[in-house]
Amino acid sequence: MTMNPLIVDNVVKEYGDKTAVNKISFEVEKGEIYGLLGANGAGKTTTMRMVLGLIFPDEGKILYHGKPYSREQLQMLGYLPEERGMYPKVKINEQITYLARLRGMSQKDADKNLRDWLERFNITEYYNMKIEELSKGNQQKIQFIAAVIHKPSIVILDEAFSGLDPVNVEQLKATVKELRNSGTTILFSTHRMEHVEELCRNITILHRSNTVLQGNIKEIKKQFPRERVILGTEGELNGLEGLSGVRQVKRMENGYEVLIERPETAQDLLRHAMAQAELTRFELLEPTLNEIFIRSVGGRNE
Amino acid sequence: MSNFWNVVGFTVKNKIRTKSFIVTTVIIAAIMSLGVNLPFIISQFTGDDAATESTVIGYVENEAPQVTDALTTYYNNLGEEADLQLAGYANEEALREAISEGEIRGYLIFEEQAGQAFPAVTYKAETLSGGSSVSLMSALQTVRNDIILEESGLTAEQRAALLEPINLNSTQISTETGTETVGGETGPSGLAMGFVYVVIILLFMGIFITSQLIATEVTSEKSSRVMEILVTSVAPLTQMFGKIFGMFLVGTMQIGTFILVFLINVMLPHNQEMLAGIDINLSELDPMLYVYAIIFYFGGYFLFATLFAAVGSIVSRTEDLAQALTPVTILSMAGFYIGIFGMTAPDSTLIQVASYIPFFAPFAMFLRVGLTDPALWEIALSIGLLLVSILIFGWLSAKIYRTGVLMYGKRPSWKEIRKAMKAYKI
Repeated sequence: MTMNPLIVDNVVKEYGDKTAVNKISFEVEKGEIYGLLGANGAGKTTTMRMVLGLIFPDEGKILYHGKPYSREQLQMLGYLPEERGMYPKVKINEQITYLARLRGMSQKDADKNLRDWLERFNITEYYNMKIEELSKGNQQKIQFIAAVIHKPSIVILDEAFSGLDPVNVEQLKATVKELRNSGTTILFSTHRMEHVEELCRNITILHRSNTVLQGNIKEIKKQFPRERVILGTEGELNGLEGLSGVRQVKRMENGYEVLIERPETAQDLLRHAMAQAELTRFELLEPTLNEIFIRSVGGRNE
Repeated sequence: MSNFWNVVGFTVKNKIRTKSFIVTTVIIAAIMSLGVNLPFIISQFTGDDAATESTVIGYVENEAPQVTDALTTYYNNLGEEADLQLAGYANEEALREAISEGEIRGYLIFEEQAGQAFPAVTYKAETLSGGSSVSLMSALQTVRNDIILEESGLTAEQRAALLEPINLNSTQISTETGTETVGGETGPSGLAMGFVYVVIILLFMGIFITSQLIATEVTSEKSSRVMEILVTSVAPLTQMFGKIFGMFLVGTMQIGTFILVFLINVMLPHNQEMLAGIDINLSELDPMLYVYAIIFYFGGYFLFATLFAAVGSIVSRTEDLAQALTPVTILSMAGFYIGIFGMTAPDSTLIQVASYIPFFAPFAMFLRVGLTDPALWEIALSIGLLLVSILIFGWLSAKIYRTGVLMYGKRPSWKEIRKAMKAYKI
């Protein structure tokens, strides 16, 4: 069996007497986008900085294609930092090729790749412009190009889509998927759960330095009981609250939303409702990632 | 290593193309050209009347004939070099009229003084420019000497012996090396003084201004967050020293430009004559002085540049930079002022002690080398200490830099930096 390109194994980081990251472990496959979730201060940035080799773990190890960190590994890493950072007054072609050359590319290849990327985003006219002259969305695209211009095998995207309009989000999301499909290993951090559900196969949720939830999104969802039933009907339903296992009933515009304690209650609910009125919709919903996140993180906040 | 040159190239290319850099260089070069050519320009404006006809000063005829005759003779004897001429008029009214008509610049009034052989003299003019008064003063001095000597009845030989200038032969000795520099030149020559002065100013510019630029660059890279990408692409050490070396090239280029502009201006034909008059010949200087100037420039620059880079790395916002730089700024300023004020007393204890303190050594030791004659081991010790401290502070700065570039937020205290260093395992 070949080793996964990125392995984080029992990594601990302490700042003084404060633990920033406590025994985090995960593996990212080739061609996978791995979601790293957590509230502010949960340890995401510290984890990413350790993966980037900016700071070293106190315990545990990080392996890149099976090898420990070294200067050479940097050349196969790409990094899109959460806080955007470019030289505001330097021409785009100059700073991008500079950053690419620092990661071992030749000037010629860097220039060619840059032109390809600008073409892909339909912004070839920015080649000779300065960052400060661009809109925020376009600055973000340039920043993204800077992270991937050297064709890294492992890419770390910290809040890749923050501050973008929906059109740009879709464009960048499509590009990230392309990268994944071409075999790039991507570590992805965000607050936005809908992006995670769309892009990631596996996730780790961090809370206060600890891993609180980890694994395949589908598996995780199965662990959380289906507790929400949608009943679509024009008519009036009575006595739903009286059924055993029903916790809460909410009257909606086109029916009812019922929170139940266990999935089996749903069948009783269905039978009860069908006897009273004609149903247009019956659905037992799985929990959204947002709910799971809030439940696993928020519940421990107190 | 290729990354080092990448950083150097990027630093140089971007710096020399910034507007502020170009504007500063051009302005300073223009001021220098103006300064060098100023005497020539002034002579162009006043040239004609100064060269052909000298200023005329009037006097009342028969007021003090002994003095006025002697003065006239004095200026006549000067021939072409005479900057003043005398003209007699009937009375003070006539003199005033002559001034208003532009015939004379001013006039002299003599008044007998009781008990004095020489009358009191008053110079009256509409503009009391210094030149005429100075010339008149020395002329009157000579005239008075002549009159008094005349009356004393000395022989011509005695008078000649009395007026002969003192001939003081000076020899610079060194008690340490036992060398003696015999020659017509006395102590530190004016030329050496001037050269040391210029070099100390250049050292200060090269060290302080360029180092400050480094700190600004580092902080702005940090505040624009491009630093996060940089530190993941290139080792912080490579990055720091690449930047320091790049800025060194930029600074050297700038100083080189100034020197070149200066030399070109001096070479211009109209300035050549003037220089010949002042008798400055740079080849008279000890060639080792140039070598030491370069060594101390190197040493001072790399010592301060690493410190400035380290300070720049711990500040997150450019607004906070000046305050954080204060200690190192004071340190470099102190060295500069020790150098400038030490010019009058290059062998004082202060300068001797300062020449072994690495932060002051580039200024103080260069001063000693230029103006006194320190033993070779003293120079070697000073340079050695400088090199050792470059290594120590370079190493320390690199550690601070490595830590500082990742610390955001308010400026950290020393304690926090040390804590962070431990945490980052640096």
